[in-house]
Amino acid sequence: MGSFYVPGDSWLHQLPTGLKLSLLMLAGAGLMWVHDWRILLVILIVVLLLIQQSGVRVLQWWQHIRTLSWLLLALIIFTALTQSPMTAIEVGLRMLALLLAALLVSLTTSIAKMMEVLIWLLQPLQTRGWVNSERVALVFGLTLRLIPELSVQWHEIREAQAARGLKANPLTMGVPMLLRTLKRAQEIADALDARQ
Amino acid sequence: MLKTKDLVLVALFTAMIIVLGLVPPIPVPWVPVPVTLQTFGVMLAGLMLGPWRGGLVVLTYVLIAMVGIPVLPGGRAGLAVLAGPTGGFLLGMIPGAVVTGLLAGRLKTDSSVSLAQGWSAAAPQVLRCWLASVVGGLLVVYAVGIPWLAIVTGMGLTKAAWAIVVFVPGDLLKALIAGIVAQRVRRLALI
Amino acid sequence: MLIEFKNIFVERDGRQTLTDLNLSLSERRIGIIGPNGSGKSTFIRLINGLLLPKEGQICVDGLDTRVDVEKIRRKVGFVFQNPDNQIVFPVVIEDIEFGLKRRVPEPTQRRLRALEALTQLGALHLQERLIHTLSGGERQLVALAGVLATQPEILVFDEPTTQLDLRLRNRFELHLTSLTQAAVIVSHDLVLMGTMDRVLVLNGGRLAFDGAPDKAIDWYRRHCS
Repeated sequence: MGSFYVPGDSWLHQLPTGLKLSLLMLAGAGLMWVHDWRILLVILIVVLLLIQQSGVRVLQWWQHIRTLSWLLLALIIFTALTQSPMTAIEVGLRMLALLLAALLVSLTTSIAKMMEVLIWLLQPLQTRGWVNSERVALVFGLTLRLIPELSVQWHEIREAQAARGLKANPLTMGVPMLLRTLKRAQEIADALDARQ
Repeated sequence: MLKTKDLVLVALFTAMIIVLGLVPPIPVPWVPVPVTLQTFGVMLAGLMLGPWRGGLVVLTYVLIAMVGIPVLPGGRAGLAVLAGPTGGFLLGMIPGAVVTGLLAGRLKTDSSVSLAQGWSAAAPQVLRCWLASVVGGLLVVYAVGIPWLAIVTGMGLTKAAWAIVVFVPGDLLKALIAGIVAQRVRRLALI
Repeated sequence: MLIEFKNIFVERDGRQTLTDLNLSLSERRIGIIGPNGSGKSTFIRLINGLLLPKEGQICVDGLDTRVDVEKIRRKVGFVFQNPDNQIVFPVVIEDIEFGLKRRVPEPTQRRLRALEALTQLGALHLQERLIHTLSGGERQLVALAGVLATQPEILVFDEPTTQLDLRLRNRFELHLTSLTQAAVIVSHDLVLMGTMDRVLVLNGGRLAFDGAPDKAIDWYRRHCS
């Protein structure tokens, strides 16, 4: 399973993760107050320049924007029709700037570094005994481990039902999917317990 | 305190939401927009695991997406989604699962309510699960998602509400199916 | 090491799954056979306390499974039938290290132990692989490596060769001979059972035969086919 992180050693890659995330949040909040499309355009250009600084090539990040761009287009058209073309342009520029900024952070921050921030944020809960970082790691790891398994399970059930002439139908697939999932739960829990 | 089995169930259901979310949207007759299965998974988590484990499942889902692993439908980046117009719908699923779990309650696995007794016997339980899914998976999610959408795009609440009205029939159908599936499985398996 | 079953009665879902079991296990290779539903899975799950009996006591090396289950699990390595349910982390080496978290707090030591376990099974080249890209036989090796890394004193196998083709099955038998620990193995594989030191036959929740492998298999063939 690929991630969004593109390894590199630009200054953006080396900025502390906490700083990047905080700046992103500030930018997100701050941009809401900007209504002048010209300023937004400048900001967008700045973000694009920053992406260029990170060394990540256009081809590598364009695909992530592609899926979102349909949504963006729909949004712009909707706003143009219900409010005004000017507002639509403003909304479009703001959205794009925000999305690209967020994507920039994702592209220059490895999963390991993000996990560090997460663990750091959970620290106060850990000292209170509410959260155990070992268990958090376990749940994350186990979830990732199970994704391909459940995907296979989905396809197996799909095939079995297609062989009986049924189309992709959550009603008929939901029950076997759930039952198998629940059955595994006991077995996996046993295996974990045995490993103590 | 959470036992091993609870942690395993959380991981399983999180993985299930991820897998369901990655299934391409299914066209359904009479429903305006092809139906995605992400919220279906969230409803099931709430119905089957109850409020706390259900909420934990969706929280884990969101955190895994945030950390940079492409688990959101369409392979989107977690941070980008949160920064964007649909961020509220994603976050809203967390309290949504909790509410669904609370409303569905501990369904008594009443062995006397078998399919042999026909629909009328199972119906109240299905109805309750459906309502729980609608309130949690629809109302709560939209209650967070619509204002978020309105603020982020500056469109205003009513326009934002109209923008997503096209998804409502699909969601109502999903909630119904989730209710039926949950009722059947709860009768068969005790967790 | 001695495993004792004293006056065991086990009930699951209202059914008697094991009745009136009294025996001691100390041989190096012990096989358990029996028809489906005879209680074999229940039997071995009593050894590391995954199941507790309704009546009676199981003692592993003098420790009661009702009292010292954690200590017992440190001595007993359990290998499940389906490696997919046993492997928890997506990357091979991560999973093996996870099982060692409590026993080996120091990270470099942990990695060494994990690598050693893989090497022992000739699976060192799999260390950085993603589990779901591995074949069934490779996954089984990884599951076994995970258990071996914890350095148990005794191993319990639940149907280890059922899902394996002939080649992998023979490979398993080879690995088995190289293991220094004692092993209790539940299996339908009668050829494998023929290599045991002692074989128990369970039937209908009771111990139907207990003795030399060839006699046990013979009894099994005559009464349970």
